[in-house]
Amino acid sequence: MQNAAMNIEDKGGDQLVLHVGPQHPGSGHFRILVTVDGDYIVGAKPDPGYVHRGAEKMAEYRDYIQNIPHLERPVIIDATGVTLPYVLAAEKIIDVEAPDRAKYIRMIMAELNRIISHLYWLGIYGIFLGHSTMFMWPMGDRELFIDLAESIGGTRVTFSYVVPGGVRNDMPTNFTERALKTFDYFEKRIEEYKKIFFNNPLMTARTEGIGIMTKKDAIGLGITGSNLRACGIDSDTRKDEPYCLYDNVDFEIPTRKEGDSYARCIVRLEEMQQSMNIMKQVLDLMEPGPIKQVIGGVMRGEPGEAFVRTEAARGTMFYHIVSDGEKNPYRVKISVPSFRNIIGMTHLLVGSRLADMPAIYWSLDYWPVEADR
Amino acid sequence: MNIKLITGILGAFAVGIRNIFKRRMTLRYPEQKLDIESGYTFDAKSNTGSAGFKGRHILYTDKCTGCSLCAIACENIADCIDMVQVEGSWPTNTKNIMPQIDYGRCVFCGFCVDACPFDCLFMTPEYELSATDKRKLVHTPFQLAVFPERKGNVKLIPDDGGAHHD
Repeated sequence: MQNAAMNIEDKGGDQLVLHVGPQHPGSGHFRILVTVDGDYIVGAKPDPGYVHRGAEKMAEYRDYIQNIPHLERPVIIDATGVTLPYVLAAEKIIDVEAPDRAKYIRMIMAELNRIISHLYWLGIYGIFLGHSTMFMWPMGDRELFIDLAESIGGTRVTFSYVVPGGVRNDMPTNFTERALKTFDYFEKRIEEYKKIFFNNPLMTARTEGIGIMTKKDAIGLGITGSNLRACGIDSDTRKDEPYCLYDNVDFEIPTRKEGDSYARCIVRLEEMQQSMNIMKQVLDLMEPGPIKQVIGGVMRGEPGEAFVRTEAARGTMFYHIVSDGEKNPYRVKISVPSFRNIIGMTHLLVGSRLADMPAIYWSLDYWPVEADR
Repeated sequence: MNIKLITGILGAFAVGIRNIFKRRMTLRYPEQKLDIESGYTFDAKSNTGSAGFKGRHILYTDKCTGCSLCAIACENIADCIDMVQVEGSWPTNTKNIMPQIDYGRCVFCGFCVDACPFDCLFMTPEYELSATDKRKLVHTPFQLAVFPERKGNVKLIPDDGGAHHD
């Protein structure tokens, strides 16, 4: 029997199918079909695809530059994270290499974007757990980092800043001074975050021991990013396969052994600290120089293919570009971290209580638009 | 366990109360407006841009040749630039065509600025582009040629408490 008005399906017996989303205030454009038995979830089936826009197919009809504004649309809060691997792969096809200064500026933009993305996630996680202060604070502090990124990239979120051959413009002269001031402030602010949210019993009671993923399961399911690091695996593409100039900077990979929702949260908080650590080192290491290798005419590659893997805010972002020597790429395949983490939802939700669903769901930092591409 | 519970709650309250007395960093928008120094520009000779805000475009009509490269750059991105006929005589522009930009479609990526080989299309810090009519979002070449007035009255200054506007 089906009750269309309430979207509730009676499975017979004690079980009931609930449709969470796609208008759920927090799930985004995404639906989970949850089968409940009383208060317990006995089955969860994620249903992505509401915001599929065919980014991969669109990329076949645009040249290497025109693709950039389109490919950053799926994850506008992590715009550099999603376009950087594309540009690195395009550079392999076109056979150019960015100058050192451009590589350092790319690293700064990527790390700023990681902080911007993590703060957005933290704000939403706060409101998911009913903690309005934790919604306001990260959203306010996020603006400081957006202002820093805007002073380089020109817009608030969609910068279209990294292009094959380098970056589009140099940093403003007062950037270092402004950035260091913001980092000093935010390092103190992280301690306040810990006091009001991370050490707050109201938060720990709802996240500690909830949604535990073991090391073995995480590897078996192919989980990536912070969710993997929260299970005790120190996997980070920035360390494992350094791109740009990440091998010149010294940073730690925050890990936790517990694998629960709390571990996934605290790992992201520590990642923001590490991002600031990286940016401080990069600002020291940077030397004046050219920022772009000029490519004459329309960008065209030799026939061939390129694979690039980078660490975006949500995990490993992978691009595979096939070129047939024309000005448009022949095929662009994007493997996004959100889509790889979606399987963790099915795994974690089964057996938990319905009230724990928001705490588990958003602790995975799932971004529907990125997963649908 | 109880000690952890009590210190946790008291610590959270202490931080919360301390923050009530802190200076807020909100920009009170219609009264206060951010003063942005420069827009995004691009030097065709060195092929690099200079950092700046990507807002409304500025078109230098005396330098435009009507080559349509900006429209071609925009073709597959937002398709918002149309080359339209303009009146008058333009020594550099024999075809009398200049770009007209539809801000209902523009994504402010600035690739049209990068494409201009004559340094005649730049961007300005103007961001208040809303209109009550969809047709008013289409800016003609002569509207684009007017440099916007500087309306900003405050600057963002980072400090120990985050930032303030002054």
